Amino acid sequence: MDQGPAPGLPRPRILLVDDDTRTSRLLAHMLREDGFDVEFASNGAAAISRLTRTPMPDILVTDLHMPDVDGIAVTQFARSKEPLLPVVIVTGHPNMAIGLGATLIPLPVVLTKPIEYAKLAEELRRVSVGIVL
Amino acid sequence: METRFQEMKRYARFGQDDAKLVARTKAYCAPHFTRIAQEFYDRIREHEDAHAVFTGEEQILRLQRSLVRWLDRLLAGTYDESYFGETIQIGRVHVKVGLPQHYMFTAMTLIRSELDRIIVANGGDAATRDALSRLIDLELGVMIEGYREHLSARIHAKSEHANQELTRTLARTEHRYISAVELAGVLIIGLDTTGAIRLFNREAERVTGYERDEMTGQPFIATLMAEDVVPTDGTRVARALAGESLDTPVFESVLRTRAGNLRDVRWQLAYAPADEEDEVVLFVMGQDVTDARAVEELARQHEKLAAVGTLAAGLAHEIRNPLNGAQLHVSFLERALKKAGAATPEMNEAIVVVGEEIKRLALLVSEFLDFARPKPLKVDPVVVQALCHRAVVLLAEQAAAARVQITEDLPAQELVIHGDSSKLEQVLLNLLQNGVEALAGGGGGHVVLRARRQPRVAVIEVEDDGPGLPRADAPIFDAFFSTKANGTGLGLAIVHRIVTDHNGTITVESRPGRTRFRVTVPLGNQ
Ligand code: HEM
Repeated sequence: MDQGPAPGLPRPRILLVDDDTRTSRLLAHMLREDGFDVEFASNGAAAISRLTRTPMPDILVTDLHMPDVDGIAVTQFARSKEPLLPVVIVTGHPNMAIGLGATLIPLPVVLTKPIEYAKLAEELRRVSVGIVL
Repeated sequence: METRFQEMKRYARFGQDDAKLVARTKAYCAPHFTRIAQEFYDRIREHEDAHAVFTGEEQILRLQRSLVRWLDRLLAGTYDESYFGETIQIGRVHVKVGLPQHYMFTAMTLIRSELDRIIVANGGDAATRDALSRLIDLELGVMIEGYREHLSARIHAKSEHANQELTRTLARTEHRYISAVELAGVLIIGLDTTGAIRLFNREAERVTGYERDEMTGQPFIATLMAEDVVPTDGTRVARALAGESLDTPVFESVLRTRAGNLRDVRWQLAYAPADEEDEVVLFVMGQDVTDARAVEELARQHEKLAAVGTLAAGLAHEIRNPLNGAQLHVSFLERALKKAGAATPEMNEAIVVVGEEIKRLALLVSEFLDFARPKPLKVDPVVVQALCHRAVVLLAEQAAAARVQITEDLPAQELVIHGDSSKLEQVLLNLLQNGVEALAGGGGGHVVLRARRQPRVAVIEVEDDGPGLPRADAPIFDAFFSTKANGTGLGLAIVHRIVTDHNGTITVESRPGRTRFRVTVPLGNQ
């Protein structure tokens, strides 16, 4: 697929965290078609428990607002394991995400809902180019 | 007998030869007239008392043309009785608009040095420079005559007034009443049976800009009430004068000041029958509520916004989540149809429509948040010319597509305000875009983006020659009021909010063929 990463390279592994399972499943499906490996967690706690196991994902894509454990907490936990892990935060509250995420270095990419699929895929491809797989 | 002008010319030793020398400079001075007029009025803009005599930008333009004509006449070479007759008329115009006398001197100095510089640059000799200088002195002397006439008329009126006072011995109690009237923070104006002003207190002087002795004897209704309210409120006053008792003795009306500005005043009328013809029979007492009105309006707006603000953030989240789901499902559908080779043009069209509707809703949510929960201003010095220019460049493509021509009309001297440049840019973009959209339906037109300096504020105007607003009193700055089929109804509400957050003002004037938004923002050095 033309939106995927360069052919011949290993498929980047994405951890997708979102409590809207119906939509995320669809998103995972499309990303897989476009050459990504996608794992899915439907809340923050599940994401953290996944992050205690190897292999670590190459990119974390997370919703901001989730009950109990939010996207910032997931990011902080992931970064404690993998300090340079690329993170994309998807949110209906872009200002809040930018505010809360300001202490995270490197800064997460913030995308405002509704996201355009093409834009997200493009962002992921851009990020995965910089990763040594 | 020698006339006054002949006498002045003789005193200044200004003769035929001098007139010829001056006339000879005209050929090379004339190309500079427009520039001199421009600089002349730019200078006035920097002085509040001088600027206060103007009623608007059109008048300034008219005056620039008057000044060019005056320069033309100054160097024409004929200085006879009718010439100086005209000069004295020009002087009287300035007395009438209430221009303080000392401005005449400084203004004339500017003209003198500009012309002198041009004469020197063109090789004019000492005799020519001297002749011009004396002519300008003459001109100034004659113009100042108007002020002398005015002063002696006032002294005359005052002494007449004093005589009358002497003949009536005022009891001490009356003195107390007078102080009460003078010190009251309300306008107190007394009218005789003919409606002429007999009493005019200090507050009345302050609010109207007129002095007591020039108002004494003037008809109240015709002099102080704004034209539009004369048929209604003027009639009310006239009926009270005739002794009719009114069902509403308190009413709000509009007063016109000496400088031609309008003020909202709450009036109260009190009738006191008297025996003598020139006695005061009607007391007209008023309070200037213009500023109170503006504050109330602002408070009302802020209250509305605060309530809206608390709702906004939560609502945005609730809407963006389902929109996100919808958007992704549409993308999925599009891809699935393509892969199956099943997409018909109608299907593709349907997908595009749904995608656009989702985007529109998302835009509404974003604008709504901007409006209800604005980010704090990031204030820096902003150069108005650069700001305007950037906005025009950003909109150039859209304007060209709509066959709309945008013209910049900006002052040569750098104009600096304090503000948040990205928000102010949003204001200009919004207003320009409105102008372009207003014209797009009619197949094109013109938009002018104009900036001017005034003593304390920068004025930025966006003017289009489109069809105008559907209704003059449409609440266009209110949230969710829109005249556009696809508008969110928030664009102008955001503009209004940004401008008032900058302590500025925004107004609109519209008729078919011209709609003009006028924004004022305090200057950078305030
Ligand atoms: C000494 C230099 C000045 C000259 C030669 C001059 C010349 C003129 C002339 C030729 C007119 C037109 C008169 C008419 O309509 O009959 C005029 C009007 C006027 N001038 Fe000046 N002027 C001078 C100074 C000023 C200054 C310093 C001000 C400051 C504000 C001023 C404000 C006005 C106003 C408000 C009017 C006009 C009324 C109107 O048409 O609405 N002038 N002046």
